[in-house]
Amino acid sequence: MSHHDTDFQGDIVAAIVSAIRSKIANSQAEVSGGGGHYTIAVTSPAFAGLGRVDAQRLVYSAIAHLMAGDAPPVHAVDSLRTIVP
Amino acid sequence: MSNLADGSNPTHEHISQVLRENRVVLFMKGNRHFPQCGFSAQVVNILDEFLPTYKTVNVLSDPALRDGIKAYSNWPTIPQLYVDGKFVGGCDIVRDMHGSGELAALLSEGASSGGSPVTPEAPKVHLSPAAVGAFKQALGEGASEHPRLHIPANFEHELFIDEKQPDDLEVQADGLVLLLDPASARRANGVRIDYVTGTGQGGFKIDNPNSPPRVQPLSVKGLKGMLDRGDTFELVDVRTPEERATARIAAARHLDDEGFEYLQGLPKDTPIVFHCHHGMRSRAAAERFLSTGFTRVFNLEGGIDAWSNEIDPTVPRY
Repeated sequence: MSHHDTDFQGDIVAAIVSAIRSKIANSQAEVSGGGGHYTIAVTSPAFAGLGRVDAQRLVYSAIAHLMAGDAPPVHAVDSLRTIVP
Repeated sequence: MSNLADGSNPTHEHISQVLRENRVVLFMKGNRHFPQCGFSAQVVNILDEFLPTYKTVNVLSDPALRDGIKAYSNWPTIPQLYVDGKFVGGCDIVRDMHGSGELAALLSEGASSGGSPVTPEAPKVHLSPAAVGAFKQALGEGASEHPRLHIPANFEHELFIDEKQPDDLEVQADGLVLLLDPASARRANGVRIDYVTGTGQGGFKIDNPNSPPRVQPLSVKGLKGMLDRGDTFELVDVRTPEERATARIAAARHLDDEGFEYLQGLPKDTPIVFHCHHGMRSRAAAERFLSTGFTRVFNLEGGIDAWSNEIDPTVPRY
């Protein structure tokens, strides 16, 4: 995948993990990637009873501020898994 | 979906209308034949396995739509697949549903408009005796591998020797087996494969009636003939105003804002010939017009330089 520049200063993986953990109850996040492309796996009881689309929406809304704008730190989520513990 | 559609927003209304009128809709970057992002290309490739036709909407053609579709579905990424007016998911979810068989079930449910899914079956592919002979020679005796025809969404055909995969479809021709993956098979009906020998080395020639229109090369002699005959077509100069001041072909219209507006208003089957200095910039412009739906698009090979050199020496070279 192509590399995408961003003005974001700091550790993007850490920023994704911390955004998810602060906004989704009792969640654990595994994040890898770079160059704007990330693979994310989130485990949380909050996903119980949600369909795949709604569960992923929860994650996307938690990191929305990292995906907004013209040169966002997160350009694309290559793979997103939501897991109920 | 009452949480989605806001009746007072024209972009949302437009999206709702597209979804009402088409059972399967993919909002993507580019179109079915020219996906302009890897994720969009993956979803196209999956849908092509199941559906002969479906609606695609290119979000790159309209910034309001690009943002509007994200708000409409409360989903931050493109592509987005909708079936029966409902948001199904992005690339990740479509890929999962394809793997689990859910997508095949969803697409075959109550199929009416928008193309009915068909279990992939072997396409009709014609191999000439010369092609069969050339394959057999390449394979040698008792080979466990077979020729494979791969046809990606942009119809850049590939032929190579490969092992059989579990979901492959097979075309039999005179003791030869041709392999196609399901998506390629969808695009292969009516293909003719021949082997031609010219000067020096021979080569396979693939003729696919399903291929989308391409930019056709046009020689300066060909253009001269079209002008002399009084053919109906548009000749378009994509160079800068400065270059046009230096040298120009009299009949050519400049591709400035006004020229662009004019061309966009023409019927999509209008023949359009693009030219520049040597033929590179005009090829890029021709590709862009092709991707907006024009079907008879030509590139003047060698550009105005070839025109000065071979047709009209009164046009200055620079």
